[in-house]
Amino acid sequence: MKSQFGKKLQVLIVEDHPLDRKILLNMLSSSPIGEFETRAAASLSLAFEEIMQHRFDVVILDLNLEDSRGIDTLQKFHRKFPHLPVVINTGSYQDDLGLQAIKKGAQDYLVKGTYKSYMLVKSLYYAVERKKAEEELKTAYTHLKETQIQLIQAEKMNVVGGLASGIAHEVKNPLATIIYGVEYLGTKLGHHDDQINLTLESIKEAARTADDIIKGLLDFASLSLLKKTPENLNDVIARSLPLVRLQCDRNGIEVKKALEPQLPLIKIDKNRIEQVIVNVILNALQAMKDGGTLTIKTEAKEFSRQDNGWMDRRSKPFRSGDHVVILDIEDTGPGIKEAHLVKIFDPFFTTRRASGGVGLGLAIARTIMNNHGGHIRIMNCESGGARARLIFRV
Amino acid sequence: MSKKKILVVDDEVRFTQMIKLNLEAGGKYDVKIENNAAQAVKVALEMKPDLILLDVIMPETEGPDVVCQLREHDTLKKVPVIFLTATVTKEEVEAQQGRIGGHAFLAKPGSVDDLIFCIEQHLANAR
Repeated sequence: MKSQFGKKLQVLIVEDHPLDRKILLNMLSSSPIGEFETRAAASLSLAFEEIMQHRFDVVILDLNLEDSRGIDTLQKFHRKFPHLPVVINTGSYQDDLGLQAIKKGAQDYLVKGTYKSYMLVKSLYYAVERKKAEEELKTAYTHLKETQIQLIQAEKMNVVGGLASGIAHEVKNPLATIIYGVEYLGTKLGHHDDQINLTLESIKEAARTADDIIKGLLDFASLSLLKKTPENLNDVIARSLPLVRLQCDRNGIEVKKALEPQLPLIKIDKNRIEQVIVNVILNALQAMKDGGTLTIKTEAKEFSRQDNGWMDRRSKPFRSGDHVVILDIEDTGPGIKEAHLVKIFDPFFTTRRASGGVGLGLAIARTIMNNHGGHIRIMNCESGGARARLIFRV
Repeated sequence: MSKKKILVVDDEVRFTQMIKLNLEAGGKYDVKIENNAAQAVKVALEMKPDLILLDVIMPETEGPDVVCQLREHDTLKKVPVIFLTATVTKEEVEAQQGRIGGHAFLAKPGSVDDLIFCIEQHLANAR
């Protein structure tokens, strides 16, 4: 009777040489320790089929197969099944290849003809346990990294929040002085002189604009308070567009809409999402000063792996199969510099400081989307221009 | 009808000057400015204002502290107080129907019309 040695392992032997295959099978069945259920595949493609149909704990992989050779074999394998532990079974005098495989993520390597049953079994169990520890470590690391990012983000928001109320107090007082001063002048000087009235109105408007910027800053502090109701995203878009119509006309922009007629309702704070849409569109318009086309597209679909390309690597709120509504806003401007793309959502990052940009629009937009459990990403399109994609959970 | 006496307590010197100019322009109010909140009660005792406009965030003595001090004096405790503050927005004030924590609030910057409307409302209630 075999002694107890870990759990029974499901082993896949990927080996094109029938004799080598037999040797491995014999070693496993005659081993005094461990317990195994084995299946074999003679090529990499057959191995893939086996793994699709059966569950395995560990794979013994020959690197030189009829349909794949060398270290490439391991890499193809890892790309498809990154979580399965692999022990390489390599030919004589191929220690260098074995070592290379370890560097590429194999758990161990064995050189044919140099090992016996005991060593093979130990290697297999060891591979399984080490892979498990590795995966746990990876999960812990990812979790830690996410927490760190959230902390940094929270800290940023804290700083912004503190700054916002500080600035609000310091700037609103002089603004109040300007507005009250202008109103006083209005009562004393205005009435019959159009130019004086216009001047006073302009000063007042400018002060109100400055006040709006401060309000934008204060917005950050209250972004987590959402009034969510079931909405059709197309309706929210329809409400947002009139707010940017003037700017579209001024820049000579053609607006193209490709809205899916039957969108499922999504639970959103419609005013906040309107704010996001307007912000994204205004950014697109800034990139098309001399005319162009603004394309607005909505689509309901199941989230798929291709859409993952659109996710920030560090935050993946969606899984394949999730029901989502996607809004794409695309411009025909010159696109966004790579160096700017990574910072585009940072508070206070702007390329338009000279013309009064404060760099909060997209920062607020992202915070709003995150607070909805949604996602916003901006990328350059292959056709030139930039595309903002907003993804909402249904 | 005699002019109503209004005391403005705010450390922003220029802002208080603008308030005084605007309120006195209509001929309905006499406005006294106090830029040092620590002096507010002393000045109020002498002046006996009909209404006090009070900033919230000031160095050393803050608006709510001034209100507490005013409440200690029988002659002042019924004088209506309107807070003027740069730390809330007009929308927030409206959402709270112009009162936060039981006190009237006006956001800075606001308009002179809003200010006068609010003053008149409180003077009428105090009568």
